[in-house]
Amino acid sequence: MRSYRNYLVVAAALVCLLPAAVCAQFTAVKRTINAPPTPSGTTPRTPDGHPDLTGVWNGLGDNLNGVPNQMANDGISVDSENSSHDIATGTKIATFQRDATRGLNNEQAERAASLLRRVGSNRPVYKPQYWQTVKEFDQNANEEDPSNNCMPAGIPRGAIPSYIGQMPNYFIFVYPGQGGLIATQTMYRMIPMDGRKHTPLEDLDGTYTGEAIGHWEGDTLVVDTWGFNSSTWFDQVGGYFHSENMHVIERFHRDGNTLTWTATVEDPDVLLEPWTTTPRVALLNPKPDAMLPESLPCSERDLTHTVTKEHH
Amino acid sequence: MSKKIRIVQISMIVAAAFVFHNASAQNAGKPGSGAETKIAAAGDTTDRAKALRAAADALGMIRWSDIGAGATRLPGIDVVNTMEIFASGTVSNGGQSSTADYHVALAYIPPSMRVEITRKGGDAASQHTIQTVRENYAWNESEIGAGLIPGKGTATPAMPAAKARLLQLWILPYGVVKAAIAAGDKTKVSAENGGTVITFPLSGSLAGITVTATLDSKSLVTKVETRPDNPALANLATETEYSDYADHGEVLTDIKSPGHIVEKQAGKTMLDLQVKMIDANNPYLVFPVPPNVKSASTSASTGGAGENQASAR
Repeated sequence: MRSYRNYLVVAAALVCLLPAAVCAQFTAVKRTINAPPTPSGTTPRTPDGHPDLTGVWNGLGDNLNGVPNQMANDGISVDSENSSHDIATGTKIATFQRDATRGLNNEQAERAASLLRRVGSNRPVYKPQYWQTVKEFDQNANEEDPSNNCMPAGIPRGAIPSYIGQMPNYFIFVYPGQGGLIATQTMYRMIPMDGRKHTPLEDLDGTYTGEAIGHWEGDTLVVDTWGFNSSTWFDQVGGYFHSENMHVIERFHRDGNTLTWTATVEDPDVLLEPWTTTPRVALLNPKPDAMLPESLPCSERDLTHTVTKEHH
Repeated sequence: MSKKIRIVQISMIVAAAFVFHNASAQNAGKPGSGAETKIAAAGDTTDRAKALRAAADALGMIRWSDIGAGATRLPGIDVVNTMEIFASGTVSNGGQSSTADYHVALAYIPPSMRVEITRKGGDAASQHTIQTVRENYAWNESEIGAGLIPGKGTATPAMPAAKARLLQLWILPYGVVKAAIAAGDKTKVSAENGGTVITFPLSGSLAGITVTATLDSKSLVTKVETRPDNPALANLATETEYSDYADHGEVLTDIKSPGHIVEKQAGKTMLDLQVKMIDANNPYLVFPVPPNVKSASTSASTGGAGENQASAR
């Protein structure tokens, strides 16, 4: 019996002495790039022939909001260990191995994140009288961002909803609230697809998510929204404020297990020209029983502990 | 030995093995781990790559982040894109020198620069000038953002000045590192007097200009010389010295900038500036080309000596 126990001890230890890579498979998959995921599988369709966008779209399990994703949102694609580029212009960006001898303390990590999220060139062009305002908003975003302290992120900042429900005549989009820095409350949108027209802008009371109406252009879902209040910014980084005359056109295109989203922002009150976001790509949660967990009660607890004055 | 003690023994061995190997796995890519040191050493196989990496590091241009990354571990990238420089000193123009405040807003993607000079003394017309360039478009602004909205200032095309203005972007220390990396194997590196000399050709609209940069023992760019092949472009022959490096940011970014800049052309000092402050945190800076400037030029917009920066490992 003692011998049997000793075998057990040795066997158990050997299991744990497998190469680290094998053990690592039980933890999260390591990514070394932030390039969009490659689509795979077929695109399911509804009985009326349109792509079926229904599902939980939560990226790679990191809710699309980590710095690597934010860098991609800002327009920087890290394509490999030695290659990166600015998506809007195609400009190559020098890429370097991480310095093995240099760890980052909290302050350095926040500063690095802040810089990395602002390298991309795809910036909305405001009218000159607002250039200084935008710069100062961004530089003081931890204080100035109207979505701080559990207010809605708004549209198009909400970007890709974590859940899409597709009905014959309407869509349901769900955007879970975020905890941590820039804590925002849960948002939902109900988007009619029945061919109705927009309410005249002057008859609408501005809201955080506006009046959205959807239609199909080929296999692309187009969501046209206006009727906003001016209490949101239209991206997470940048201090990009807008007026109540903002008009947003979002495009959703499913390709297999990926969903690509872009938004074009028109705001002739403050922008010199319309601005289109860098395309964002989310992965479908493949689990057939995938669920969105309940959002925790929103409570802003991080702002007083941050080192930077801008979002990082 | 009791059964209970034996179970505790087994549990401890299993736990210890798990801890050991999880730690090994997690440390495989972390700073200080031997594995990553080997990878880094293997990657830096050329003097050129080492010198350019060292120069970028000395300026604080390379960053990576783990914040919010989950299991993602990206390599470092060059984070310098937009920047503002606030300086004052002596500015020479048309043979006359004057003291002035000197404010630069710049971007490397796309290559753009706006230089606002406020002179002390002199006639009113020459006291305040704004000279802007974006790729191959150059213009003068009567106020920041002039010519973009009807009734808001005047933008005057200044296309012949485009190359000289672009050159100012690429002879800054950050521009030197970017352009040298972009030049790839055309960049030559040599050791001289305890420092490093980097020589490379510019490209795009600045093709035909060779840059020679001297780095000190800390790999900081201390001197930059430009030499055009074409004698007709003698105004693009410059010699600039940089010194007193520090983090001059109001917001400290660890991006180092020179505190003293002296630029000469044909031996004559054109700029002698003391840097007061730098915003290197990629501030919101845009350089839209006014419609009348666009229509005044039919030249293609290619503009940048180092717009494509290859990998430096």
